[in-house]
Amino acid sequence: MQRNLEKVRNIGISAHIDSGKTTLTERVLFYTDRIHKISEVRGKDGTGALMDSMELEKERGITIASAATHCEWKGYDINIIDTPGHVDFTVEVERSLRVLDGVILILCSVSGVQSQSITVDQQMKRYEVPCIAFVNKCDRSGANPFKVIDQLKNKLGHNAIPMQIPIGLEDRHDGVVDLVTMKAYYFEGQFGEKMVEKEMPEDLKEEAARVREEMIDAASMFSDDLTDAILEEKPISEKMIYDAVRRGTNARELTPVFMGSAYKNKAVQPLLNAVVEYLPSPLDIENEAIDLDKNEETVPLISDFEKPTVALAFKLEDGKFGQLTYLRVYQGGIRKGDLLTNTRTGKKLRAGRLIRMHSSDMEEVDEIPAGHIGAIFGVDCASGDTFTGSGVNYSMMSMHIMDPVISLSVKPLDNKSEINMSKALNRFTKEDPTFKTYVDKETSETIIQGMGELHLDVYVERMKREYSADVKTGQPRVAYRETITRKSTFNYTHKKQTGGAGQFGRIAGYMEPTDEWFEFVNKITGGRIPTQYIPSCEQGFKDCMAKGPKMQFPVTGIRITIDDGAYHAVDSSEMAFTAAARGAFLEAYAKAKPVIKEPIMKVVIETPNEFQGSCMGLINQRRGIIEGSQEEGVMSVIESKVPLSEMFGFSTVLRSSTQGKAQYTMEYSNYKQVPQSVAEEIARKKEEEKKEDQK
Amino acid sequence: MLKKDLIKRSPAVRIIGEEEIENVHFGAVLSRAGVGKTRYLVQIALTKLLKNEKILHISLNDPIEKIKARYLEAYNDLVDSIGYVDPQKALRLWEEIKNEKIALSYNENTFDPEKIKVYLKSFKKDDLALPALIVMDGLDFDRDLNETLTELEKISERFGLPVWYSMQTHREQDFAQSGYPVQLEKVKGRFDKAVFLHPKNDKIESVVLTDESRPNEYYLLDPATMMIVE
Repeated sequence: MQRNLEKVRNIGISAHIDSGKTTLTERVLFYTDRIHKISEVRGKDGTGALMDSMELEKERGITIASAATHCEWKGYDINIIDTPGHVDFTVEVERSLRVLDGVILILCSVSGVQSQSITVDQQMKRYEVPCIAFVNKCDRSGANPFKVIDQLKNKLGHNAIPMQIPIGLEDRHDGVVDLVTMKAYYFEGQFGEKMVEKEMPEDLKEEAARVREEMIDAASMFSDDLTDAILEEKPISEKMIYDAVRRGTNARELTPVFMGSAYKNKAVQPLLNAVVEYLPSPLDIENEAIDLDKNEETVPLISDFEKPTVALAFKLEDGKFGQLTYLRVYQGGIRKGDLLTNTRTGKKLRAGRLIRMHSSDMEEVDEIPAGHIGAIFGVDCASGDTFTGSGVNYSMMSMHIMDPVISLSVKPLDNKSEINMSKALNRFTKEDPTFKTYVDKETSETIIQGMGELHLDVYVERMKREYSADVKTGQPRVAYRETITRKSTFNYTHKKQTGGAGQFGRIAGYMEPTDEWFEFVNKITGGRIPTQYIPSCEQGFKDCMAKGPKMQFPVTGIRITIDDGAYHAVDSSEMAFTAAARGAFLEAYAKAKPVIKEPIMKVVIETPNEFQGSCMGLINQRRGIIEGSQEEGVMSVIESKVPLSEMFGFSTVLRSSTQGKAQYTMEYSNYKQVPQSVAEEIARKKEEEKKEDQK
Repeated sequence: MLKKDLIKRSPAVRIIGEEEIENVHFGAVLSRAGVGKTRYLVQIALTKLLKNEKILHISLNDPIEKIKARYLEAYNDLVDSIGYVDPQKALRLWEEIKNEKIALSYNENTFDPEKIKVYLKSFKKDDLALPALIVMDGLDFDRDLNETLTELEKISERFGLPVWYSMQTHREQDFAQSGYPVQLEKVKGRFDKAVFLHPKNDKIESVVLTDESRPNEYYLLDPATMMIVE
């Protein structure tokens, strides 16, 4: 692997679903000689694009798991993570962004900045990942890359500057004019593999000069040399522009924008040039870990091969040779036979086969040096684990993970399926921190939880296909919560004398609403409750949070303050105070006006203008709130908030109301109190389920 | 309590009258560009939001983010005008009322009242409370709007909704013989109420043009907040 890290790029490709990520990646692999044939995502040959290695992805035409791949371009090593586009799988996007140094943000030249682009952009901001933008689909009817650049500025707040202008648009899209070299580039050959440089067409000269001036003006903010050259009217070299734009991009203060059509094989090679020219190398990025031996102090990680190894496992996959763990090495390097420590479990392990991935093919390597992405076989770990070499006990920062909002019961149909299902669930929970599973103690059903209907659908399908587990699924259930709405007091005495040692504990105080899940405040003075029993009190209250007294949903948003109590020298014990806390909780909870809360989803519909009214009507029907609707060309974007419980089956209804022309994305927004009538309905259903279970 | 105080302070209520805001088919706020028509319309709409009634804000100029920002700004101006208010209380009230506003942004060339009708029908169909008022911002009254206004009039009648328009006048244009700006003169038969805003020294003067019960009532507004200068 390349040891000159200036010549390494770890990049991701992120965008809204159907913006052409996978198509673009295919072209990149073709032009970098990693593949010798181009397959389309929904190609006529039925093979599907190479990066969509899972069966399901090939069928649905969406990418649901990051496939890592490696290629070389002009002597540079480029590691690419293809990221999923659907909101339900954003944990994959987040994980990729965690290990990447730069991103190509793909935008559709017709639809422009869409809802998912906004989500992806927020994630890029969170992980401070520099990006360049590629306005794809310039061959489509209605293509307008400059409108998209305006949207990048206005909607996402990017300082977006065009680095190219298109030569023709829609069906006349032929190539691009590079505003740095001021040359025209055309793409010839069956797959556009021959990039031909020509003089730019006369009719574009004026526009090119004007846009170039604006570009140089924006870039000059990041280079004194360039500013001086402008002011002194000296010639401006290409290098000056490259350096300035690169500096601005790496500081996340500039977004250079490229354009073309991956599907029509136009302008992908200049985008590859841009990756090496403008996106940062591992040396340009500051990464940090926390030192577990020094009170979680932050320590910088340096891409130095001689320093102790620090690597992050960001993706797991089950292959025919066992578990494959994708790693980003931040410091040192992993060689075959190296002894590594998993800092989460403390377990030591020896590095076995190391490989570099090319989607589903693999190439064995001797080492994965700092700054690179690779994979290792035979390591038992979870996604997000940190591996270190000797001498350091570091952990990479924890990733931002959301709580699941929907659950589904799954029931294996036979014994074999039960074993396979268990294997599958074990794997999925390790791979995906937003996918959770547990066994309901009351019904003995296995419950899976995730971020949306599609998220769970995909895992159920994978269980069937990859693990041959025949399972029957129940109705999706919404993750309701209980909470209180006002302050209430408690003064509870737990007293039991039934022979043998007695139990005694009194706790007094109050509970009140808070934004946190649970808070415990100890205001006991004068030893009314001895210190050794305080943790038991806290535990007793916490135990009650798992299942609310009102409707057995998990409780959230409660602050408990204890300020008085009593104990008995002989009869008080930890157990007695835990029991007293439970009693106190029940006493206060009933008086604190408990309510049910439900997850509210941010739903964004993109529809042709003529269906705007009916789409808004669909939101109305679902207890939704329309925040706004905006016309963007021939499409309208409707932003709304809708309770998750009302969204089941929405895609079918939306399709039938809009002749299949509208699409929507959905992501978790917040929890909100359910209206009284709905709460009554939930209570009724809960009661019915209880009766059903008793039968 | 806070709601009532804010409604009382509203420049729209004080100038037009609380009941008069809703007892119209069509109302208009007129001024030349940049004086504050939209901000004044937002103050009109806020009086409904403060009663927990839905409003429909249709704009042919502003994207929805800007519309949302306008409402927050207008709410803050209104809160600030009554002196000290517990910020938490003000925030809670804003959280309560902000979702009653539905912002719709259209291109002027493709705006079609039919879309509004389809949307409003869905309220009736699902037995939901209809919006209490429509704000229509950005229609160009220099053009022939007869067809559009007729359609909107039908909507207003069918759903019992007052529609408040912004109407842009021009500095260099003379008034009509009736004393009205020419934009209003052309369509005055359709409008029950009109408020004219025009700069006067460093303030904005507001005049109710079409209300005979309030002859010669002038109010001065602070151009930064559109609140009445006491």
